[in-house]
Amino acid sequence: MVPLENYLVLSAIVFSLGVYGVLARRNAVLILMSVELMLNAVSLNFVAFAAYLDPNRITGAIFAIFVITVAAAEVGLALAIVIRLFRNRSTSNVDEAAIMKW
Amino acid sequence: MGAEQAWLLAAIPAGMFVVLALFGRKLPRGGDYLGILAIGSSFVLSFFVLADLLGTEEKLGPITKAIDWTQIGNFQLRMGTFVDPITVVMFGVVTTVALMVNIFSVGYMKGEPRYWWFFAVLQLFAASMLLLVMADNLLLLYISWELVGVCSFLLIGFYWEKRSATEAAKKAFITTRIGDVGLLIGIILLWREAGTFNIQEIIQHAEEGHFSSAYLFVSMCFIFLGAMGKSAQAPFHVWLPDAMEGPTPVSALIHAATMVVAGVYLTARLLPVFEVADGTTLIITIVGLVTAVLTAFMAFAQTDIKKVLAYSTVGQLGFMFVALGSGNPSAAMFHLMTHAFFKALLFLGSGSVIIATHHNQDMSKLGGMWKKLPITGTTFLIGSAALAGVVPLAGFWSKDEVLHSANSEWGPWALAIAGGAAVMTAFYTTRLFIRTFMGEPRDAHVYEQTKEPGWAMTGPLVFLAFLAVVSGLVVFHGVGKVLGFPGGITEFVFLEEAEKYSIDWGLAALSLLISATGIGIGAWMYWGNSTRRSTSLATSYPRAYDALCNKFYFDEAYQWCIDRGVLGFSFLVSWFDRYIVNDTGVDGSAQVTGFSGYTLKFLQSGKLPNYAMGIALGVVALAFAGILVRG
Repeated sequence: MVPLENYLVLSAIVFSLGVYGVLARRNAVLILMSVELMLNAVSLNFVAFAAYLDPNRITGAIFAIFVITVAAAEVGLALAIVIRLFRNRSTSNVDEAAIMKW
Repeated sequence: MGAEQAWLLAAIPAGMFVVLALFGRKLPRGGDYLGILAIGSSFVLSFFVLADLLGTEEKLGPITKAIDWTQIGNFQLRMGTFVDPITVVMFGVVTTVALMVNIFSVGYMKGEPRYWWFFAVLQLFAASMLLLVMADNLLLLYISWELVGVCSFLLIGFYWEKRSATEAAKKAFITTRIGDVGLLIGIILLWREAGTFNIQEIIQHAEEGHFSSAYLFVSMCFIFLGAMGKSAQAPFHVWLPDAMEGPTPVSALIHAATMVVAGVYLTARLLPVFEVADGTTLIITIVGLVTAVLTAFMAFAQTDIKKVLAYSTVGQLGFMFVALGSGNPSAAMFHLMTHAFFKALLFLGSGSVIIATHHNQDMSKLGGMWKKLPITGTTFLIGSAALAGVVPLAGFWSKDEVLHSANSEWGPWALAIAGGAAVMTAFYTTRLFIRTFMGEPRDAHVYEQTKEPGWAMTGPLVFLAFLAVVSGLVVFHGVGKVLGFPGGITEFVFLEEAEKYSIDWGLAALSLLISATGIGIGAWMYWGNSTRRSTSLATSYPRAYDALCNKFYFDEAYQWCIDRGVLGFSFLVSWFDRYIVNDTGVDGSAQVTGFSGYTLKFLQSGKLPNYAMGIALGVVALAFAGILVRG
């Protein structure tokens, strides 16, 4: 059996990639994808811990399903916003959409 | 109708106040006849109360009636009326004088603006005073005490278009208020210890010695402070002369029957408690003596008729307090009654002069008025003689009683001081009469226009003059017997043991000598239109004369204290309010919020990566914080 540490390390790597993507990318779609990476890293953690700590209960798996559901909804909403942004500005660069400030 | 229904005496004028205040403006003649009707019925009812009281089995025993007012915790408050000889004397005085003043005002106030309002407040004034003298507990007494104060404020400031009148009204209200605070503190102190507001229960409590002596002394001093304020005793006397700004009938009412005698009444009512509290009677006597002498001096230099009379009132109130301090409420109430009659007469007489001369009340412009005003002049002479203490007018008997009680309680020194004040009273009364009514007219123009006013004004004068002549005679046993109270007034208004009135011939001769001396000096100085002697006296002692003219600088001293003390303190408070409370507290906190909002708003840059970085750094910071906290 693959030890737990491997899952955790993989999850950390994926999460860090997601964080990097959110911070470094300027394209709204890519940012959304990075967010998905982070969410998946967390889901992976949930499932791994659930399998290793208490295999008889599926709490972690249920949490993972919740996270996927929420992520789907979030992506649906966010992509709609991105489409409106693109229609209006002809760009999906978030730096160009910076007029909502003080 | 018996003494149980005594509350009607106050209720009728109070109800009439409401009627007149609401509808008086629309009624013909401002509803003055309704006012006279209301106070007249109180006047009539007071005789029923007297008859009822005289008919009681246990010889003038008090007749009480009370109802449950409210219940607070275990404390049951009962309000009611208490009718005993003191109350009945006050009933008689208040209703008689108020009725005369009402009738007189019909003539005096004719054509004045707010005529209806004047009559409305007169009703309320009489009602509050009647309620005050029949209250069986200190709380009800305090309520009516304040009502009297409010009415005096309204009436003194009746001509509120005149600045001096509003100032005088404020002065009267605030000066008496200082005493009222003392009274309230005293009432609360007594209640705290005795657990009741009922006057008779408090008296009983005190006589059984349940109060500690220091506690009782302090409480009674506070109570007496209230009496001093209301009765304008030194050093609170300053408001009374200024109260002359009100219409003259109001002065008559305030000085004779309502308001100022409230303090005398209160002290007489609580005299048993004062006597238990060691030392308070001496304080009362000294305050009375000081006031009597001080105000007699002040009256010397006044040229305004009404001001002279005002100072004489304060002085006579001083006499009443001397009698009370000497433990003789009968003498005090007797003097209160006779004084009420002749002082009301004098004030209404001066009002008659003022109307007759088209609002001239300066003695230096009058003179020789007797020829023009025979009725006013004659009645005024009777009033002056009664004030000066000429036998056999009312003032003689009551002043004799006061001197007698002062002598027997405190000895010759009190008699000497009171006698001195009496000499001065006789002197300035003589001066007042001669300067106004005798000699040659000093202002031909004023003299030409003078005309005797109508019956509405002369009628009350004649009636009061009659009372000023005969009311002193009730001191005699025979007169008392005919009227239904054998033993005369000295046995009628007793609190503990009755004392048979007997003329002390030596003292009577002395008091006759006193009034003769005063009148003699007055006549010598002012007879025959001559002011040569008085002017030479004034010029030889200019400093003394200045002090008299400026009323011993009391007003200036108070003004100084107010300027330095009150205004200085107010300045500090206003500085604190402006710079600490307002600028730092209110504006300061608003500015902190505003400034931090202005600074922090730049964090909202609108750039998505910045927010993302903020979130990431925040999570890292929270993670480090968690590690640090967990250790």
